[in-house]
Amino acid sequence: MDSMYHGDVLIVDLAAGKTEQVDFVEADEAGPGLAAGLALYDRHGDADPLVFGSGLFTGTPVPGACLGFVVGRSPLNGDLAVSPLGMYAGAEMKLSGFSAVVVKGASAKPVYLWLHDGVADLLDASSLSGMDTWQTTDAIRKDMGESLIQVISIGPAGEAKSEAAAFSINYWGSGDSAALGAVMGAKNLKAVALRGLGMLDAEEPEELYNAASELIKSAPAERGFKRICSALGADDIDGWLKPIAHRHRSCFACPSACATFVKYNEPPSVLGSEGVEEPGMLVTSAAAAIWLKDGGWDAEAACRAMEAMARAGVDMLRGARELSAEPLSDASEITVAVKELKGAEEAAWPAGEAIEYGLFGPWVPPLASQDDWLAANRAGYVLGICPTCLLAGGIDTGRLFELCGPAAGIELDPAAVDGMF
Amino acid sequence: MRVKVKPLECTGCALCELACGYHWDEAFSLISSSIMLYRAEEKKGYMGIIVKTGQDLFLGKPEGAEAVKLGELQKSGAGGASAKPILIREACDLCESAGLEPQCVAICPQNALYLE
Repeated sequence: MDSMYHGDVLIVDLAAGKTEQVDFVEADEAGPGLAAGLALYDRHGDADPLVFGSGLFTGTPVPGACLGFVVGRSPLNGDLAVSPLGMYAGAEMKLSGFSAVVVKGASAKPVYLWLHDGVADLLDASSLSGMDTWQTTDAIRKDMGESLIQVISIGPAGEAKSEAAAFSINYWGSGDSAALGAVMGAKNLKAVALRGLGMLDAEEPEELYNAASELIKSAPAERGFKRICSALGADDIDGWLKPIAHRHRSCFACPSACATFVKYNEPPSVLGSEGVEEPGMLVTSAAAAIWLKDGGWDAEAACRAMEAMARAGVDMLRGARELSAEPLSDASEITVAVKELKGAEEAAWPAGEAIEYGLFGPWVPPLASQDDWLAANRAGYVLGICPTCLLAGGIDTGRLFELCGPAAGIELDPAAVDGMF
Repeated sequence: MRVKVKPLECTGCALCELACGYHWDEAFSLISSSIMLYRAEEKKGYMGIIVKTGQDLFLGKPEGAEAVKLGELQKSGAGGASAKPILIREACDLCESAGLEPQCVAICPQNALYLE
């Protein structure tokens, strides 16, 4: 596939400490996005790999085109699982110069993978061992002299291979409810750092750009979690967060801004950057927030708990469910409680339709029937579009499939994609 | 006439950067646009927008917008080292070379950009 992807697949052999680049044939043979990712997993399955990749439109102005993924075998049940790369991580994965990355085996010492502009460096991470995800993100960005690097890292939970572990994207946690963070820990892979200055070509760029612009204009541009809560039948959490809410944040190329930056170490009204270094937390998990709110937690305490979980590299969704049983308010007690999380609770949304999450996990809210929810995940991970946008954002999925031609000169049948996995 | 910013309306989706990059390159990237988010202080939740014109840089900082001369970006403290690349990029031409309305303004879903 000459358009929408650039570069080869990077194969990383952690045991040998070597990397090689091979042709990205899987996109042509199996299809783009997760279809190629699963084919790569099958090809290298004997080496228990983690496969990092992105969807067809990831990194373009198509609405919601933020999505990348990590495929691996979950230590929770031994099944294959997909965890999302949202925010800017999916786009930086796409622009890093590698179409996908397969990480095989385990390293004898802690390492991290630094991908930038088609160059892959496997670097010693001994100095990062024991750091939480905030410290790891800061250290890598400082070492490289670039504050826009996206850092997929594990904290103490991942290093301990805890079933509660999740990888974190920068400071804010992730939708990894399959404990792929523990798989990174088992591989001695402390982090994958991404920075891409690449450029994506399209077969018919003007047609793709104009169509994407029209889709953006027709999509709702909402802020906060109200839409998700309303569709789930859950109480609104925006009002609960409001006293500490600072501003809303979008993922890459998303017209809506679900995530909410809250400040509790300085007044949320402070606009400048001259204040404290760590004023608060970007709340990205509506599900975690709903669990804690329904458990009787105060919003500030709940956000401190989410910060602690993100720092420790603990799955916020399962952790919030476990923490919801006993509301806490003291910061030191919250830190202790987070350290003691075992990942014993099943990951699930506290409200909405009963969904069998399977391969995809509960990152996407159960906003539809089982079939529609699965279809949104399948299409989303192949096309690189956030499935929540497809379910709740009013985006015409059929139109997205039509754009595969101008984007990459391919035809994708929605029904075929829905039957892929 | 220039592109101006309502920084508190911006949610950081980068669609303006993609639109401008497409205007210059007919491809999708974040490396050549005349407008860029400054999101280097991520942990602080601090984010704004810089627009490069032929004469100056318009800094849409959350605490207040200002224009600075091209050589004074670092002195202003806006964006840190990550904002430097905009100095070597093309200045905004309001998309006149393509005969279009400014594409960053047109695509911004949060109405954070306007012409004045």
